[in-house]
Amino acid sequence: MKFLELLTKIPRRIIFLILAIFVIFPLFKPLNLTTKVSIRTYDLFKAIDNLNGEKPVLISIDFDPQSMPELYPMYLSILRHCFAKNIPVIVLGLWITGVGIGEEGLKLIAKEYNKEYGKDYIFLGWKPGITAVILGLGRSLKETFPTDYYKNPLENLPLAQKVETYKDIPFMVSISAGSPGYGDWIAYAQTRYGVKIGAGVTAVSAADAYPYLQSGQLTGLLSGLKGASEYEYLVEKYGYSKAFKSATQLMDSQSFAHLIIMILVIIGNIGYFLLRRKR
Amino acid sequence: MQRSLPLGLCFIMGILMIIQFFSPHPISQQFFDTIIKWIRIISAFALVLGVRSISLRHIEAVKRRKSGFVYSIFTLLALVITAVLGLVFGIGPKAPIRTIFNNILVPLGATMFSILAFYMASAAYRAFRARTFEATLLLISAFIVMLGMVPIGNWISPHFPAIAEWILSVPNMAAKRGILFGVALGVIATSLKIILGIERGWLGGRR
Repeated sequence: MKFLELLTKIPRRIIFLILAIFVIFPLFKPLNLTTKVSIRTYDLFKAIDNLNGEKPVLISIDFDPQSMPELYPMYLSILRHCFAKNIPVIVLGLWITGVGIGEEGLKLIAKEYNKEYGKDYIFLGWKPGITAVILGLGRSLKETFPTDYYKNPLENLPLAQKVETYKDIPFMVSISAGSPGYGDWIAYAQTRYGVKIGAGVTAVSAADAYPYLQSGQLTGLLSGLKGASEYEYLVEKYGYSKAFKSATQLMDSQSFAHLIIMILVIIGNIGYFLLRRKR
Repeated sequence: MQRSLPLGLCFIMGILMIIQFFSPHPISQQFFDTIIKWIRIISAFALVLGVRSISLRHIEAVKRRKSGFVYSIFTLLALVITAVLGLVFGIGPKAPIRTIFNNILVPLGATMFSILAFYMASAAYRAFRARTFEATLLLISAFIVMLGMVPIGNWISPHFPAIAEWILSVPNMAAKRGILFGVALGVIATSLKIILGIERGWLGGRR
């Protein structure tokens, strides 16, 4: 009876310790398990891959440091893909706490591919009034953002000369941890101006995005760390990058974490049913 | 006047924006451009109001020595320090605010989110019991999706990702779509109530 009770009452500290060990272990000894690329990730990859590089891709950083482990690798992979294909990039953010992350990633990858600020990429930063910013870009980029994040007038930047409104942006990606995020881009940019949108979201919110995929309002979706690792795999497979694949390595930890949770749930249920039968 | 003016403005602007959405006329587009500028300006004011509101709330908590007032002191200090550093030294790559962001906010945020995994594991172990048929169904779907979402699931059986994908694309999406329709209808109804002055909670809570 005591053993059965123990099955249903494993101390919390033991659970934490087991989970910590199995999360940390693969970071030192990667398993290198292969990931199956989902059709949603492939759709997003192809949407960017089919661009000819004349017009820029717009990337919206709609997350904060809390979601960095899942979403930042997506951002870096998408940037690598764009820069390797000589597709210009314009980055902005709907979350003020995402500005630092957006700028850091952009600088890092631009340096990796020797890209020039103003010609190959622009960082717009954040502005108050989310709805007004998204709708405003449909009317005029330069009126919505008269200057970039560094206070350079947009009219002085060669890349900004190519973009007037959404009609000059063939594809945009919202890397989103919640609201405001891809939902706002769909509601105001896609519905009103017909912008082609892809999204990268945290695993926990991925289920919410599925209706938009079937309706065609989203062109591709990266869901959580898995989506990020799939994108890293595609970027490497097509020869765009040989950089370290952080999301792919973290997937091993996630695999173990999922397994541990499942085993714990099974143990809890076995204990529960055996105890119920005895009583 | 205090109540009828905002109500009247809300009614007029609400109706105008509905008409504007369906009209491609240049006057309508000009009106839309002006409104977008106004929204941006008002949003900037909202930021000022937000800072004022959070400051007053925490100053009050400190003055009255409410429980947890120490956290209020930290909030106020963080607010003042980041604002002053940002205003004085700017936001460039070597600015102190960037050091604060990279060395305090980023690790704190990541830590908070990582702790979730531990609590989720503990909570799932304690609460996830196959007590009823529905709970069993939920448990099985959860297991399949959890395995389908990680490479180890694919390693165990390549069917796991396919079944997980089906669960997400069919039953999950059907349920989500139903919820979305419900929410959309609710939003339309509430918006109409606000425009027509039936719902007045936004005026300050008094009916």
